[in-house]
Amino acid sequence: MQLRDIAWESLKRRRGRFAFIVTALMLGVGTVVALVSLSRAMQADVSDELDRFGANIIITPKSRALDLAYGGVAVGGLTVDVQDLNTEDATLIRTIPNKRNISAVAPKVVGTTEIDGKRALVIGARFDQEPGIKSWWQIDGRFARGGDEALLGTEAAQNLGKHSGETLALGGRQLRVAGVIAPTGSIDDQAVFVDLGLAQRVLGKPGKVSLIEVSALCRGCPIEDIVSQISAALPHARVAPIRQAVAAREQAVRQLTRFTYAVSFVVLLVGTLVVMTTMMSSVTERTQEIGILRAVGFRQAHVARVILLETVVINVAGGLLGWVAGSIGARLLGPALAQLSSPIPLDPGLLVLAVVIATLVGVTGGAYAAARAARMDPAEALRHM
Amino acid sequence: MALVEIIELRKTYNGASTPVEALRGIDLSIEEREFVALMGASGCGKSTLLSILGALNVPSFGRVLVDTIDVYTLDVERRADFRREYLGFVFQQLYLVPFLTAAENVMLPLAAAGVPNTRQRDMAMTALERMGLGGKGARLPRDLSGGEQQRVAIARAVVNEPPLILADEPTGCLDSQTGRGIMDLFLRLRDDGLTIFMVTHDRGIAGYADRLVAMRDGTLAAAGSTCANVGSSTRHRPP
Repeated sequence: MQLRDIAWESLKRRRGRFAFIVTALMLGVGTVVALVSLSRAMQADVSDELDRFGANIIITPKSRALDLAYGGVAVGGLTVDVQDLNTEDATLIRTIPNKRNISAVAPKVVGTTEIDGKRALVIGARFDQEPGIKSWWQIDGRFARGGDEALLGTEAAQNLGKHSGETLALGGRQLRVAGVIAPTGSIDDQAVFVDLGLAQRVLGKPGKVSLIEVSALCRGCPIEDIVSQISAALPHARVAPIRQAVAAREQAVRQLTRFTYAVSFVVLLVGTLVVMTTMMSSVTERTQEIGILRAVGFRQAHVARVILLETVVINVAGGLLGWVAGSIGARLLGPALAQLSSPIPLDPGLLVLAVVIATLVGVTGGAYAAARAARMDPAEALRHM
Repeated sequence: MALVEIIELRKTYNGASTPVEALRGIDLSIEEREFVALMGASGCGKSTLLSILGALNVPSFGRVLVDTIDVYTLDVERRADFRREYLGFVFQQLYLVPFLTAAENVMLPLAAAGVPNTRQRDMAMTALERMGLGGKGARLPRDLSGGEQQRVAIARAVVNEPPLILADEPTGCLDSQTGRGIMDLFLRLRDDGLTIFMVTHDRGIAGYADRLVAMRDGTLAAAGSTCANVGSSTRHRPP
């Protein structure tokens, strides 16, 4: 018989009391696991939402702007050292180390020209990339597919008097209007979207692009890393993250994480007190047994180890059951409570966290009881009949 | 040769209003293989003396030497080791751990000493057989009679072959016939070479001892041999 056997026999003997602690721990750890699962799932969901929102990096030509003023009176500005972007730059973006996080690269050339005798804003774009950048567009008709199709913003369509399925003339070619974009409240409403190559030719900017929009699916990686990698690949370009999107994401994640930590702290504090109270009560109940052990030669350290072994077994069990309960709870209730778009997956990583948390709670709660048991005066303990 | 030397032992407890002197200068020597009975009225300090001799209760003054070891110069953990190696306890109450079997209760001192499991089991079964409980090792205490439980406690006291057995009213909660059986066991242990120090208030039980020591108000009132001849257990059995 070893110390662990004594602890095990004691656990079997006091099943009811220890089942109470396991249940309390299961509820505590389960709550923490459910909250962390929910928090992580909501973080992922927010990230997905924001990623679906479209471009989160804008690349424009690097330039040095000089503001000119005399006597406090602004007299205009001057832009110098402009180095245009070109179509190959879009290809280079696909070569950065985090290229797998790049979901869409959409180069654009912007200018104005005459269409059917009316002045119009023309944006040359790559129609195979635009859906990844403008996923929120609602189109009457369908997305343009090739060089002989165009998409019209709602105001451009009104201005030109065109509808989906009709044709318009641009650069000596007849383009079919594949669809009309529903109002977006942006400059897109006034634009005529055509193939990039066609626009470059019509606008007299062969091979040039005005800007490149990039959508980076950056869950789990800092957007700044991707920005700096693109900057290194395109030293002549100005690469900027869309700050609002990043800040909103970070703020949402921070709030969720803070809430989870706060609730978890309170739950675990209560769990620790429950374990401490119950183990103290158990030690008091076992005064005589501890006296016997000390009388027959058990050291204080032996007694403490028996009590702590019991505590650890109880807490590991509580942690395992808590992980199961918390994971199932989050999976069942998550979609309803947090309105998540996808079910919460089981996270084996949280199992380790649950067991570690439960063990820490148990050892913290049980340590005082174990110390008190070990320090018990054996003569006094044996008189405790 | 003296196995136990108690020198000028004093113990004062902090009472509710005034200090209570439980022991007022005890000097006592116990020889190897001697069976000594300590008698006295309730509250005269018998149990205090036994607990101090058992390295369970620190004296206020004086020394306890067992096999030349000055017990109270040891720290608390070394005193636990001392109890395990030198002492076996038998109490009036049947102090068995209720959720352990008879054999497991007997194994407790061996478990504390880190003896391997197989050897623990062999030693426990031998001790139980010595007490006439060979077939009852797997039983829980609640499934044993009072006398059987006390014999399990004695088996636990002797399993690691300590030189000194300390017994506190070992027949106190047993009927007279069972009590006599326990005393026969003690005599056999004494004959096997163990030294026994027993506290009792039962003159009939005390009559089994080689020497009777009386105690009154924290002092030893008288001392002497209960029998003229020391050596054979049968000669010391009272009529």
